[in-house]
Amino acid sequence: MSATTELPTKEANLLKGHEGAVLAARFNGDGNYALTCGKDRTIRLWNPHRGILIKTYKSHGREVRDVHVTSDNAKFCSCGGDRQVYYWDVSTGRVIRKFRGHDGEVNAVKFNDSSAVVVSAGFDRSLRVWDCRSHSVEPVQIIDTFLDTVMSVVLTKTEIIGGSVDGTVRTFDIRMGREMSDNLGQPVNCISISNDGNCVLAGCLDSTLRLLDRTTGELLQVYKGHISKSFKTDCCLTNSDAHVIGGSEDGMVYFWDLVDAKVVSKFRAHDLVVTSVSYHPKEDCMLTSSVDGTVRVWKK
Amino acid sequence: MGLDDDDFVFHGTPIEREDEIASRKKKAVAGASGTLKTLPAWKQEVTDEEGRRRFHGAFTGGYSAGYYNTVGSKEGWAPQSFTSSRKNRAGARQQSISDFLDEDEKAELEGQSLSASSQFDTFGFTAAEQSRKQAEKEQHERPSAIPGPVHEELIAPAPESIGVKLLLKMGWRRGHSIKDVRASSDARREARKAFLAFSADENTKESSDSLVLETEAETSLGPQFSEDIKFSETTPVYVLNPKQDLHGLGYDPFKHAPEFRENKRSRLTASKEVGYRKPLSMKESLFGPKSGKMAPGFGIGALEELDVEDEDVYAGYDFDQTYVIEDEQPARPSNDNRLRLTSKEHNVLPGFGAASNSDYSVERFDPPKIPKDFVARHKFSGPRETETKPTASTPPDVPPPEDKNLKLLIDGFATFVSRCGKLYEDLSREKNESNQLFDFLRGGSGHDYYARRLWEEQQKRSGQSNLQLDVKVPPSVQKMTAETRGSLLGEKPLQKSLKETETSSSSGGSFQFPTNLSDTFTKSASSQEAADAIKPFKEDLAKQERFEQFLKEKYKGGLRSSDSNRFNIVSESARAQERLDFEAAAEAIEKGKAYKEVRRATERPIDFLAGGLQFTSGGTEQIKDTGVVDMKTSKTYPKREEFQWRPAPLLCKRFDLPDPFMGKPAAAPRARNKMDSLLFLPDTVKAASGSGARQVSDLQEPEKEPEVEVEVENVERPVDLYKAIFSDDSEDDEEQQPMNGKIQDGQEKKNEAAATTLNRLIAGDFLESLGKELGFEVPSDAPYPEGTKPMEADNKPKGKSDASTERRPGLKEKPEEKTSSLKLVSEKEKSTQKREKSPRNWSGGNDLSSSESSGDERRRKRSKKDRHRNYDSESDSSSDYHKRDKHGSRSRRKRRESSREKRSSHKKHSKHHKTKDSSSSRYSGDEERKESRREKRRRRD
Repeated sequence: MSATTELPTKEANLLKGHEGAVLAARFNGDGNYALTCGKDRTIRLWNPHRGILIKTYKSHGREVRDVHVTSDNAKFCSCGGDRQVYYWDVSTGRVIRKFRGHDGEVNAVKFNDSSAVVVSAGFDRSLRVWDCRSHSVEPVQIIDTFLDTVMSVVLTKTEIIGGSVDGTVRTFDIRMGREMSDNLGQPVNCISISNDGNCVLAGCLDSTLRLLDRTTGELLQVYKGHISKSFKTDCCLTNSDAHVIGGSEDGMVYFWDLVDAKVVSKFRAHDLVVTSVSYHPKEDCMLTSSVDGTVRVWKK
Repeated sequence: MGLDDDDFVFHGTPIEREDEIASRKKKAVAGASGTLKTLPAWKQEVTDEEGRRRFHGAFTGGYSAGYYNTVGSKEGWAPQSFTSSRKNRAGARQQSISDFLDEDEKAELEGQSLSASSQFDTFGFTAAEQSRKQAEKEQHERPSAIPGPVHEELIAPAPESIGVKLLLKMGWRRGHSIKDVRASSDARREARKAFLAFSADENTKESSDSLVLETEAETSLGPQFSEDIKFSETTPVYVLNPKQDLHGLGYDPFKHAPEFRENKRSRLTASKEVGYRKPLSMKESLFGPKSGKMAPGFGIGALEELDVEDEDVYAGYDFDQTYVIEDEQPARPSNDNRLRLTSKEHNVLPGFGAASNSDYSVERFDPPKIPKDFVARHKFSGPRETETKPTASTPPDVPPPEDKNLKLLIDGFATFVSRCGKLYEDLSREKNESNQLFDFLRGGSGHDYYARRLWEEQQKRSGQSNLQLDVKVPPSVQKMTAETRGSLLGEKPLQKSLKETETSSSSGGSFQFPTNLSDTFTKSASSQEAADAIKPFKEDLAKQERFEQFLKEKYKGGLRSSDSNRFNIVSESARAQERLDFEAAAEAIEKGKAYKEVRRATERPIDFLAGGLQFTSGGTEQIKDTGVVDMKTSKTYPKREEFQWRPAPLLCKRFDLPDPFMGKPAAAPRARNKMDSLLFLPDTVKAASGSGARQVSDLQEPEKEPEVEVEVENVERPVDLYKAIFSDDSEDDEEQQPMNGKIQDGQEKKNEAAATTLNRLIAGDFLESLGKELGFEVPSDAPYPEGTKPMEADNKPKGKSDASTERRPGLKEKPEEKTSSLKLVSEKEKSTQKREKSPRNWSGGNDLSSSESSGDERRRKRSKKDRHRNYDSESDSSSDYHKRDKHGSRSRRKRRESSREKRSSHKKHSKHHKTKDSSSSRYSGDEERKESRREKRRRRD
């Protein structure tokens, strides 16, 4: 089948080094490097294509749950169980700033397009926007309309989108000054935006991925087959938006056809829960991380 | 000076001055003559023949080396000459400790090394060695007459003791323990070993005395041997702690972690107990119950407490089981085990003798006697059995009655009775006492046939459940008709056929056709299902038909009038009664449908009425139904709601976007508590002053004293009174809240009540007087009637958009008021637009104003949250979460609820009364909440 051949299903590299679960693996802006973070409180910078560990960043007091790199690759931010958002310098490995304020663990962080702000999603039911430009450590804004833990956040040029355990995907349109709340009825684990920006993919805890039209809030498609009931597992879309990728709690990675929601391909990527799936911004390359402490690089 | 010097150019070597050389020579001479010897060692200089200072000892700074600079001199040692290592490069010699030891040290070392002294070493090699050496020495000391090594060859020293020789004869080999000798030498011993297959050769290693004695007695070895054996055997016994590991002597792996010692010991003993292993939970002993499941290797700081979030949800293995990793442990069969085995062999424990007679006898009880008439099969006294009971006597096969209608009726009825039970037959018999058609029930014509049919049907039914159909009903097989075959195969009869038979019995069937046609096209699957499944008015076919008609109408709202005329029910009241019946029956059917659906899916449907052409299996319908359900659920979700949301100006700036709310008044801090929002304004007024983000301005509202607040500050007023109304007591309350939650609640309630009454009284007068001063008309009654909204609502957002300005209105100036009122119109327009867009804020109607709505929203949020939580906890309890979600979803939330409550109590406090109010209607819809809100307002007013 031609569809499967263009999917990254062959293991290209195995990144070993984390002790304990790896909670997130993310490509940088151009896809040449990857940052991973995990239970061992470290963030590691890799060259995933050559399988080399470049640097280890240590400062977090507890597990690190998410990490995101600026578009110019100079800085990155991370967050985790110590309720803080760290703003790092990539090359020196120093923490530039720590943003404190969340009342609970911080589940996800993202930079905006211009890397001027960091948005963090926390267990305290809020999204917080932190300023990287000024020296202020107070949040620029606190969005607290969520009714439960916010698990995931995605930013577009004009919007902040958050997915929460209360079952909603809320879009905060800064330009319009509006909040759109799409209630899916199931706890939302992870959200990810399609590359054309028209759809939001929401991974729900009923082992279902749901594809929503962003303009209308319509449910476009439902993807099933994987297991996602109690862990934070990631989902994403391929660069061409042709396939939906989801990690499963049994260590499998699933590929669905975007349109007809068929499982196009699935394979065992890890022995344990796949915590994170991240797709290369340009090429057909994928990173998966797992509780087993490994990160794998997949290519076609 | 430099300039002059630079001009000179030197060529050649300058001639050394005469006196320098002379002095050096003198020195050399002096040195040679020993004049310098008097100097201390470190001042002496070594010179060559020429008297030049000899350069050596580069490592110590040159010019000196060796003891008193003796290196290279006659009395000193010569430095090693260079030899190329090229040729003997690979010849790296193995160094031994003796290379680094002096002679005396070597001697000492030899003295320390353990070796059996020659006099006790009977058969050791050392003894032989010793004697040989001794002989050699003696030979050297007193040289014999015969020179050369000849006598050495002749007279060899006795190398071994006789004991060793004997042992060797018996099969012992050097390096083996004595124990093995017996093993290999003695055939009986061999046999016994085979007998003791389990315990293998563990005897050799450790044992108890008794065993040794026992084995000794068996083996017929000489006394010397037994002594030897005894010696080698018994030594380990005196070692209290037999060394069972492979660590070096004296090495203690638990030296720095004594906690683990106990752990290990218990593990060892546990492993000795066969098959049962209960590891001592280490975490208990170390950290106590506090430490939950922690990720291995990631401890937290000493000052931090282990929290719920430190648990390792991903943990695949158990920390309890980890222990200090020791080097490989030799598998060591246990002592007791062997003891037990050997004792079993002889049937007595060592030290005990078997009793010759015992009074213990096993008492045996006979099994209970089974009554003769007992059938080893339980029969349930359920309805099914009662049904099958009459089948005991097989009614004779009877030809069907000539009347086709009657035959059909009987067939149908029999099927029905067989399905619904005998009770139904009795019932219908009673009911149709006078009905000619049902004569067969009372033994009239066709009774035999009915009995036969009934029996057949029952057989069929029971056969279906027991899968014994063909065995049980051989006679009916020959008589299989299309209907029976169809029903056997689970085919469903076409309804049309039923119709025809029915109509043929009740009315002339010609004009029935159109309705049938419409049926086939329009009847929904569900209703058809229902109608097919249950025929509650079976006994009265006409009625049944009417019922079906009724159902049809009910489900798709067809024309009734034409149909109802068709049936010749005389009285209106009878018809009404019937209709009621139908309603009830339809409802019952609806209810039973779901269950039926399931049942039909599992057991293939045998069908209900004779005669059928339409073959549909139940399975597909089932699928269709679930599909419908799916559609339904997907329709409810996702739900989209839209709210207004105000991004912070800085956020807009950072996103490089124009602020959508630019120029509009800054968003008020959300009303912290009721006092904030209440103040002295009626709902509608203060509403506008609430959150700027959710302002409402309603054009239709009547205008009412727009400038009241502006002037408030200028008026003198009693301070305490003012304070009572305006001061923010709750600020303090909030801080106290965590400590005395409930008391505070009550207090606040009182406060609130007092405040509101004061509000009303004072605000009324106040406004009135103010209004008079300003020349406005003020209505006498302070509380505004419900539904009317004063115009202030519109002005407020511009003038005093937030609570703080309201409290300190002195800052406000008239001109500002004016400019803001200029904006009013556009503002209004916008807000009306907004209103269309976001229905949520205005769902309450006109009397809802923005601050109210913000509060309202909050309440809504609150109640929603509660609802959600409730739902969550429900789902939590229902679904099993073996693993907990780390990233803070559900189960954990529940546990942390309390802590969060604490954390959020600050916020919560402010909302408290609201939540309380809404708590009653928490789970109800918006309607109810609105109701309660209204009620509350009324109370307030």
